[in-house]
Amino acid sequence: MAKTPKNKVVDMHSAPHNEEAPDYSDIHPFAVPFLFLGRKSVIENFIWLPLIGMFIMIILGVVYPPYHPAPWDVIPGSWAIIGYVAYTIIVLSARPLFSLLARSEDYYGEGGLPDPEYSTEHAEGSHD
Amino acid sequence: MIDVLQINPGLWMIFAGMVCALVPKGEAFAHIRKAFVIMVPIFAAFMIFQINSGQEVLAGKIELGGLSLTTLRIDSLSLVWGYLFCLISVLNGIYGFHEKCRITDSSALIYAGAAIAGVFAGDLLTLFLFWELTAISSVFLIWKGGERAYGAGIRYLAIHVLSGVILLAGAAIYGQSTGGDYSFNYIGVENPGGILILIAIGIKCGFPLMHMWMQDAYPKASITGTVILSAFTTKMAIYALARGYVGTDILIYIGAIMTCFPVFFAVIENDMRRVLAYSLNNQLGFMVCGIGIGTEMALNGVVGQVFVHVIFKSLLFMSMGAVLYRVGTTKASELGGLFRSMPITAVFCLIGAGSIAAFPLMAAFVTKSMIISSVVYAAEAQGSLWVIVGMLLFASAGVMEHSGIKVPYFTFFSHDSGRRVKEAPWNMLVAMGLASLLCIVVAFPFGGYQMLYDMMPYVVDYHPYTVDHVVFQFQLLFAAITSFCVLKRFGIYPAEKRAEILDADWSYRRLGMTIVSWISAMWTRLASGVKGLRAKLLDNLGQRLYQIFSPAGAMSDAAPSGLSALLTAGMLVLTLIIMYVVM
Repeated sequence: MAKTPKNKVVDMHSAPHNEEAPDYSDIHPFAVPFLFLGRKSVIENFIWLPLIGMFIMIILGVVYPPYHPAPWDVIPGSWAIIGYVAYTIIVLSARPLFSLLARSEDYYGEGGLPDPEYSTEHAEGSHD
Repeated sequence: MIDVLQINPGLWMIFAGMVCALVPKGEAFAHIRKAFVIMVPIFAAFMIFQINSGQEVLAGKIELGGLSLTTLRIDSLSLVWGYLFCLISVLNGIYGFHEKCRITDSSALIYAGAAIAGVFAGDLLTLFLFWELTAISSVFLIWKGGERAYGAGIRYLAIHVLSGVILLAGAAIYGQSTGGDYSFNYIGVENPGGILILIAIGIKCGFPLMHMWMQDAYPKASITGTVILSAFTTKMAIYALARGYVGTDILIYIGAIMTCFPVFFAVIENDMRRVLAYSLNNQLGFMVCGIGIGTEMALNGVVGQVFVHVIFKSLLFMSMGAVLYRVGTTKASELGGLFRSMPITAVFCLIGAGSIAAFPLMAAFVTKSMIISSVVYAAEAQGSLWVIVGMLLFASAGVMEHSGIKVPYFTFFSHDSGRRVKEAPWNMLVAMGLASLLCIVVAFPFGGYQMLYDMMPYVVDYHPYTVDHVVFQFQLLFAAITSFCVLKRFGIYPAEKRAEILDADWSYRRLGMTIVSWISAMWTRLASGVKGLRAKLLDNLGQRLYQIFSPAGAMSDAAPSGLSALLTAGMLVLTLIIMYVVM
């Protein structure tokens, strides 16, 4: 990274203005404070929230066992295991199922489901 | 003399819907219609309130063709559905306020009125009448989805009319077995009529392999139409099950399957309104299972689940309707990052998602816990039911997948699709806001869910906010979200792709149509072949006759006189014999 020589006078008026305020004109005002949700770092680190929550609940589950235990409740964190495994199975089944069941959108020859070019907003008032 | 204060309250809405259909076109008249759509359900709720006495009310008795019909029965079970349908009609009316459509307005009123009249029916024949009216009146909401929805509407109508015909056949057989008593009470599956009625109800509430009309028609209906459709038909069927088949064992297994199979379709479906249609199917499974268990606690759970389900499912359909209205599509592959443009809709959608996933402090937590707990209690007595408990927990993780995460994430978050649209219209926001408020209020630990308890048909002794309930539910939900994050981070979660996903309707839309087309082609060929053969035969016969009898034919040849005399004598003998026999 090039350093500015100490003796060089920098003309602040002619320097490019890199620190422009972000343009939020196309963002809803209510959404502006939440734009951080779209940051990559937030998305990548979001996992810690449910992960920590899950471990806290597993510990609490050991302290407060169910009043009506199922056979699998002898295993600590059984509901977490069920939730994790079930969710993973469902998602992992998606690829083979998609290969098996997916066809082109016009497979039945009826034009599929609504697309942007078929916006009912633009048909407003013409339904009478 | 009919007491107008004692007529079935649904009839007021049907009448108002007919009046709406006659209101002329135009902006000014549209407001009159809208006033009808919002105010008449409130009036109907008032009529229910003034008829309800706290005891079972049987009224509107009619003698027709030797049959005794009870057109109104209000009791603790039907009352909940009646109020619920009025409430959701008001919300739907507000949601569709911007839509100046005479057909939608009148259909919505007649449809909702028929559903209300159906749940208040005291006999099977009255039920049949309104059962069919719900089908006929609601198909217009599908057709308002445009040309693409025409085929789906026809299929919807055919399937629902078939359901009604089966119901009528079942009712006739059942009535025979009870000596002409058509009262709509417990029916059971002990006689063939009861089985037929169960099949009819099964079609309407989406039993496995009978479900596809829902995923076919709902996503193709108009924006307002889908929201309206999601509230009535299936819940009317759940009422009929709760009335006629409570404690029927087979429903436990049907319900458990219903909770599980839609999650596999929802995960690969690209269109969010169709994902929600699968989700609707899955939620109905919990209700069917609870009815099969049949204990007081299970039935309370079912009634509560119906109530909250109508609200949060409408809320989810409303939020996707708002997206469709603004963006023009609800295909996940085309969406993403919409919270930047529609943050209020996003929040409402998240509340709906949290409610359906049964997060503590949100709608379904109390009611779904009751249903699952009732199955757990039943499993303690009958060990084989632990499998059902496992299936319901599996399905709960599935609900988290398709409705809890997929719908809000791929619509409002995920990658930024770059679409910048306006926030939903004010009336949609008001309707979604009210539904969101209800989702939170009915699950609130201090005085909230107790309001729900007050509506339940039996005295409730169930505490949802115990430490173990909350902790174990959070375990399940946090684990599911963790799994989602892991799968996304490692790129295992499949990308949303545009496609038509084959389901059971392939059997009649493709296989059935292919068979019919083949039979039609074969019939045409056969008819053509027969026609040719007949023509050939007639042609040959004509030629033969011509060869014999024409002026140039064999019969025209000059015969010898001896032969002629012999023939004449033969004819005389024959005539004499005939005359002798006859005379």
